[in-house]
Parts: sequence; C-alpha cells; structure tokens
Amino acid sequence: MAHVRLKIQRFNPEMDSAPQWREYTVEAEPTDRVLDALHAVKWHHDGSLAFRRSCAHGVCGSDAMMINGKNRLACKLLIKDLKQPIVVEPMRGFAVVKDLIVDQTKFFEKYRSVKPYLIAEEPPPATERLQSPKQQERFEDTTKCILCGACTTSCPSFWANGEYVGPAAIVQAHRFLFDSRDQGAEERLEVLNKASGVWRCRTIFNCTDACPRGINVTKAIVEVQNLLVAHAKQGSTTDAAQ
Amino acid sequence: MATSSALSSAYGRPKPTGGLELWSWVFMRVSGLLLLVLALGHLVIMHLINSVDAIDYDFVARRYIGWFWRSYDLLMLVLAMVHGLNGLRVILDDYLHQPVQRRIAAWLLYGIGGALTALGIVAVVVFQPPSSVGVP
Amino acid sequence: MRPVVRHQYDAVIVGAGGAGLMAALEASKGCRVAVVSKLYPTRSHTGTAQGGIGAALGNREPDNWEWHMFDTVKGGDYLVDQDAAEFMCKEAIRVVYELEHMGLPFNRTPEGKIDQRKFGGHTKEFGKGPVQRSCFAADRTGHMILQTLYQQCIKRQVTFFDEYRLVDVLMREGRCCGVVALCLATGELHVIHAKAVLMATGGFGRMYKVTSNAHTLTGDGCAILWRRGLPLEDMEFFQFHPTGIYKLGILITEGARGEGGVLRNRTGERFMERYAPTLLDLAPRDMVSRAVHQEIRAGRGIDGKDYVHLDLTHLDRRVIEEKLPDITDFVRTYLGLDPVRELIPIQPTAHYAMGGIPTNLNAEVLADEQGRVVPGLYAAGECACVSVHGANRLGTNSLVDIVVFGNRGGQRIAEWAPKAEWAALPDDPEGSAQEQLARLEANRGGDEAARLRAEMQQVMMDDVGVFRIHAGLQEACERVNRLRAAYQGVGLSDKGRRFNTEVEELLELGGLLDLAWVTATAALARQESRGGHSREDFPNRDDAKWLKHSMASLRGDAVQLAYKPVTITRFQPQERKY
Repeated sequence: MAHVRLKIQRFNPEMDSAPQWREYTVEAEPTDRVLDALHAVKWHHDGSLAFRRSCAHGVCGSDAMMINGKNRLACKLLIKDLKQPIVVEPMRGFAVVKDLIVDQTKFFEKYRSVKPYLIAEEPPPATERLQSPKQQERFEDTTKCILCGACTTSCPSFWANGEYVGPAAIVQAHRFLFDSRDQGAEERLEVLNKASGVWRCRTIFNCTDACPRGINVTKAIVEVQNLLVAHAKQGSTTDAAQ
Repeated sequence: MATSSALSSAYGRPKPTGGLELWSWVFMRVSGLLLLVLALGHLVIMHLINSVDAIDYDFVARRYIGWFWRSYDLLMLVLAMVHGLNGLRVILDDYLHQPVQRRIAAWLLYGIGGALTALGIVAVVVFQPPSSVGVP
Repeated sequence: MRPVVRHQYDAVIVGAGGAGLMAALEASKGCRVAVVSKLYPTRSHTGTAQGGIGAALGNREPDNWEWHMFDTVKGGDYLVDQDAAEFMCKEAIRVVYELEHMGLPFNRTPEGKIDQRKFGGHTKEFGKGPVQRSCFAADRTGHMILQTLYQQCIKRQVTFFDEYRLVDVLMREGRCCGVVALCLATGELHVIHAKAVLMATGGFGRMYKVTSNAHTLTGDGCAILWRRGLPLEDMEFFQFHPTGIYKLGILITEGARGEGGVLRNRTGERFMERYAPTLLDLAPRDMVSRAVHQEIRAGRGIDGKDYVHLDLTHLDRRVIEEKLPDITDFVRTYLGLDPVRELIPIQPTAHYAMGGIPTNLNAEVLADEQGRVVPGLYAAGECACVSVHGANRLGTNSLVDIVVFGNRGGQRIAEWAPKAEWAALPDDPEGSAQEQLARLEANRGGDEAARLRAEMQQVMMDDVGVFRIHAGLQEACERVNRLRAAYQGVGLSDKGRRFNTEVEELLELGGLLDLAWVTATAALARQESRGGHSREDFPNRDDAKWLKHSMASLRGDAVQLAYKPVTITRFQPQERKY
C-alpha cells in the first residue's frame, strides 16, 4: 500500500455556486485502478463524492472522466502510470449533474438521431442472413463502441458547437453504413450530411486518442465523409443521365 | 418522390446526397491542395528565384504581358478568398448559434469578401503594361 | 419525505440487460411498456459476457438441440428442470437467428454463416467429445447482444427510465401491481402502477470479494421480493469461474480454452488431464474451479501462492489477437503481460448465481414450492431460477437463458396484460420506500458501510466459496447475521438528494447482506456436494436425499427452507464424469 494523492473537481449544484478542487490522500496499490482510488475516497473519506461506475474493467463505459487532462475510463488507468496528484474532472461539454457525473441526455439524443439500428425491411430468411467474414470485418472496429462519451467530450469542434452530432454518433452510424445487411444508408446519410453532421469534423484526432476501446474514430468519420461524397458523385451522374 | 425513395431503399442504394456542406467540404480539400501548389510556386518564384529587391513595377508589368501569370494570380486570388471565407463561415458557426446572427455574419463575410475579390480581379484584369515594358 | 411522481404503464420491466431489453421488445408488441434501470441500458452487465451464446445451429459440425439439452442437464449435475432445459435448447436456435436478423454482428464461417466454437461442457452425441456450439462475436458477444437489443428498443421507441433505482415492488392481495423507483438525478420517488412487472435485475456476485461481477450486481430485485415474503430457489448454488485474473477477478473467457488454451500448475503440468480426461480444460466450470483449488491446496499453485497459470503461448498470435482481442487487452492493461508470450495468472472468481426468483416456463414468478403463480409478476435472466442451470451453469447458457426467457416473459406479458384488469395500488404505495430512505437519512454516516461490505465479502469468499464445510457455513451465517443487525445502524454522510450514489450503495449493501444470509443458510442445509455446491464434509452427490430444489423464504426473522422436486423427463441422473 502506498499513499496516492488525488485532486478532484467537486461540484454539487444543490449547494455550490461554482466547482471547487479538493485534494485527498488515500491508501492504494500502485497496480490499482484510478477507480479503486476513487472508491477509497468515497468509502473512507467522503461519502458524498459522486461518480458513475459499474463493470470496472473497461467494458460498460460508465466511468469516463477527464484524468490528468485526458478523457479516460477510471477503471482502465493504473495508478502507477500516472503523475500525482491525479487530477480528476468531469468530461467537458455536458452540464455537470454532480461532481464527476455529467448529464448525458444530449449525448444519447445525438446517438438516437443517426438511427442506430439495423434497417432491413424485407423479411429475413429462416436461418441467418449470410455475410462473409470480410464483410463482417469491414465494420467490426466500430461495433466495439461502448457509448462512454470519451470521444465526443474530447472533441474541440463539439465543445465549440454543441449542435455537432459528435464522433460517437458517427461511429454508431458507421457501424451500420458499412454493414452489408443494412439498407438504411439513405436515412442516416441525410442526418450526417447536415451542417451539424460529419462536415464539422476538423480531423483533430482527440477522439481517436480518447477512445478506450481503441476504435480508430477519425478514420471512421473520414470514411463516412468519403461515402457521402461518393454518393453525391453517383447522384450527379445519374441526374445528368436522366 | 415517395416511390423512388422506397425503391432505392429496397435496393439499398442511397438516394443522391449533396448540398452546401458536402460540396463546401470537398471544395476545401481540393482548393487547399491547389493552393498549396500555387502558393508554394508563388513563394519560390518571388522570393527564391528572384530576390525581393529585383521585384519592381517593370517585373510585374513584364509578367502580365501574357495570359499565363494573370490566370495564375487570378486563380490563386479566387481560391484563397473563397477558401478563407468559407473556413471563416464554418468557424463562425461554432460560435454563433442563432440563425439571425449566422445570417448577418454570412452576409458580412460575403460582402467584404466579394468586395476584396472584386478589387483583386479588377487589378489583375484591367492592368495595362506600358508599351515600353518588355524591351530589354 | 421525498416528492412523489406517479405513472401508469401496462408493464414495467426492471433492469435493462439482455433479459430486460428482450422482454421489453416483445412486450412492447402488445402493450405500453416502461423499462426502469439503475444504469443506462448499455452499461448493463450483459455487455461483459465474452465467449458466446450456445445454440445447436450445426454450422461447423453436426449438432442437435437434444445434445445441448443433455449437456445442460449433466452440466447442472441433474438439478436442472428438464422441461425447462428442453424448451431453452430448442428456443435457443430460433432466438439466435432472431438476434442475427436484428443485426447482431456475429463472426462468420467462410460460407457466411454464424461462426461457432467450442466451450466448456458442450459435447456431441451425449458426451462423446467437444462440439463447436458457441455462436460468438469475437470475445464480446454479450456487448453485441446488449447493443443490438438496445438498438432495437430505440427502433421500437420503448420508454426508458434511465438511472432509476428500484426501491420497492408493490403487492396487493398476492398480486403484483407496480414498483417504486428512486430517480437518481433528482432524488424523487416514482410510483409506477402496472398490470405486469418483470424483474430482470441480474445477479449478486458482489457478495464475494473476488468476483467477475460489476459493482452494480447486487441482486436488488431478488432482495426486494425476498423481503416481500416471496421465496428464492437454489440459493446455495453459486458458480465460480475458474479463470479470473488473479486478485482482480476480471473474467478471462472460457473461449480462451475453447481456442486451445490450457491450465498449468507450478510444475508446468496440464493438471486437468488428471481431473477430466476427456474434456480436459473444457470440463464444466465447477469441476475446473475445484481442480484449481485442489492444485493450490496441494502446494502446486504458482510459487506456492493461490493461483495457477492459463497458457495461451502455444496459440498463433493471430488467433489470440483476432478471436480474443478484449481479454488480450485486459491482460495487457491490468497485468502488464503479453498473453502471446507470457502465462496469465488466474484464480477462480465468483461469477454466476444459479439460484434466484423461482419461475415457470412462462417466466411467471412462483409464490411457493407448489408452483402457485404470483399474478402480474415475472422474472427472467440471472435473477430468475427456472431452473435451467441446476447446480452449475454451462458456459454460454447465461446468454441463452436471458434471451430465451426474456423473450418468453415479454411474449406472455404482451398476451396477458392487455386483457388483464388493473389491480388497485396498495394504500400509501410509497410508504415503505419513504421509510427506508428516511432511516438512512436519519442515521449517522461514516465508513461503517464500507467495513460491513468488506467483511461480508471476505466471509462469503472464505466460507461460502468453492469448497464449503459445516463449521465454516455456520460461522458465515452467524457473522452475516451480525452484519445485518449492524446494517440497521448505517446511514448517509451525504444527505443531498441530487445523484446521491451513497443512497444507492447503502440500499445495495442491505440487499446483498440479505442474499448472503440466504445463500449461507441454504448451503448449510444441503448436506451433499452437487455442481457449484461442494461440501468437504459431504463430498458425494446424494440423489436419494437431495435431488430437489431448495426454496428459501423469510418468515419472521428467519430463513425458512422448503423443497420441491426436480422435473426429470429424458435423462436419468448418472455419475458425472468428463
């Protein structure tokens, strides 16, 4: 056990007029996760500290927060790999509900806006639809998304302009746009072609850096942009032919 | 319309999309690349091959006898103005959220940009090299 | 007193994991449904299931639902209700195809069919050798199921109450008529009047110190029904997964062994050869966990410590990185080891509750050992006990369970709820919830709760773990009971209403303590060894006396145990060898 120093941004809008920093020193192993240190604070120092968490091994996406200036999952960072005091703040770009908990309502609205579900209206066969391993690999990267919000809230374009659908929603759209079974490209591309859609991406790569699942987010966004351009070109040639 | 979109959805072929944002995005990439070549060329000619001291009225006048350098400069001027203005428009969208503000900003941009571009075009197009130029 | 908001829906689903979402999808085809979940649905624990979902599709080699059923029954050490297992194994095929139609991105065979791989305890021709039955999407099958079901719920515009924590289930004259939930964001209570309530609240592995379960897996639904006097079935059976990452408990999928990984002790010996000569490392989980423990006890743990090694180093790097990418990432992140070149330290980790709320094939909750149904109350998934897992669940069958019985429960609700009459709410429906919360607010806060939790987890790990013995179980019962008494005095240090996660943790602790008590008590009573319940003082299975399900109920302040027979149709109990 060693002493671990944490500096956490605390804010309870019920009582505080502005966020404030508080420092804590807790006992933890160097190989413990930041989440374990947060639990040590909550369980032994200050029960009022609020944060989300569930699976504690980087799969459920509950505990995305800004740690030492970068968006990370608290359960996927080990204390030994961090400079102390470990500075913990809520993700940027959403209203803070309390301490490290942000209001994700808008995030999920944006997610819903890209119609994140398979659209295939003809009746399916009695068994599975066929899809080659190659077709499945085409969109595998973006199926890994856990909707933690780390990408969207690390994106300067999103900070500046909250209308932007954000990387997470585009990743979700990508997952269906490149699925050979999906037929909803038309509807989804319409949403993504708006001023609030993919064109707001400035290829800053913060999203790719922030993704705890190692998804190549920027690449996915550019692939959607290219898809839109390809469809527009295809469209203008058909128009000309008519 | 309804029929055609139902059909295209049945065949999984998206309806043609386009629109301002898409083409402005494409334009930014294409013009960016062209500007890279044009501006670098400009830099090399004006500052490396020729010394700044050597550039004078005669130098410009000599270049503008033919159509090539005029077109070069015109293209660079128009691309740079539109590229820059469009970039500003997109950036302003990040900070101006009300439609009215956006419209005012856009018209201001178009106005100033249009005036500056026009001024540049006039300078390049109507310039008449004196007849003495070109005689060594 | 907290402000109260009232709602009315035909059906309320509590929990938004695989079972809850599947039920919501089906139920929403026939009536107005609301899903209440203490987490955003995509945070549910279904998302951490790795290896696959078992279904006899026969895409890789001949397979048959009856073989799947046999494996399920034998894997469950014959405590499985065979009518339920038959239903599940048949339905599994249909439901897996349905999931594919919903868009689930399964790995594919070269012909483009759903790919399948080997998994512990799954055999061909009634035990002749391993079979490829587990349909998978890399090692994140659960993630894909959860995402796919949530996507479909969005498509169907199902109503969600995200981050609402169940506090009470409302009953009137033996019929269920709604729930009370705490809105975490505001601290308000919400009374939801409903004709049908389906519990899909998951397991309760957090009663153990080393567990693969999420922090939020605290058996909320089970505990609340238990306090309402309803029975819990087969609570003594808790599964320990043999391959948890040492100390952390994070799961390394059985798929790792399905792809060819082996277990080794300190001498490097593949010790499963001695315990299960046919299935080796792919024997069912209870057997492998016991084998690991026995190796450790015999001093053959690594460096004499309490762990052994999982060896993947002989596998091709591509197999490891492409078919097991997530666990490769876990091992690299948490242990700093590269599974391609290094051995992974593992120990058994508390993983799955075979027991829970007793239900019938329609996912209807049973009020007693005679099979009387509680009208309007349903349960599905890990919180329920149908029982398809008997004394030990087979790998992949949890995902089968949630989708099959979530689906079935949802169907039943869609048929039943539109026709059913509304039952009136009890007088003062939120009274008990208000009282519970007021007590936590009135008591003094501090780190007492953390101390109680830590002690409970340690006691359960030591005395109600892989191996159990009379004296230990008795002590566990007493100690957990003392902790329950101490719990009455714990309170909040944070009296705020807004997103008070301390309230949530205290409610969870209260539930876990009750469930730990029931688990230890039922384990103390069962004087035999069967599946996940292994008694050192009664090392053999005793079908004459104990081929029966336990039903534990709260009577006064005591656990009352009753028993009911096991349904046996096709397969007579045999000795369980692999």
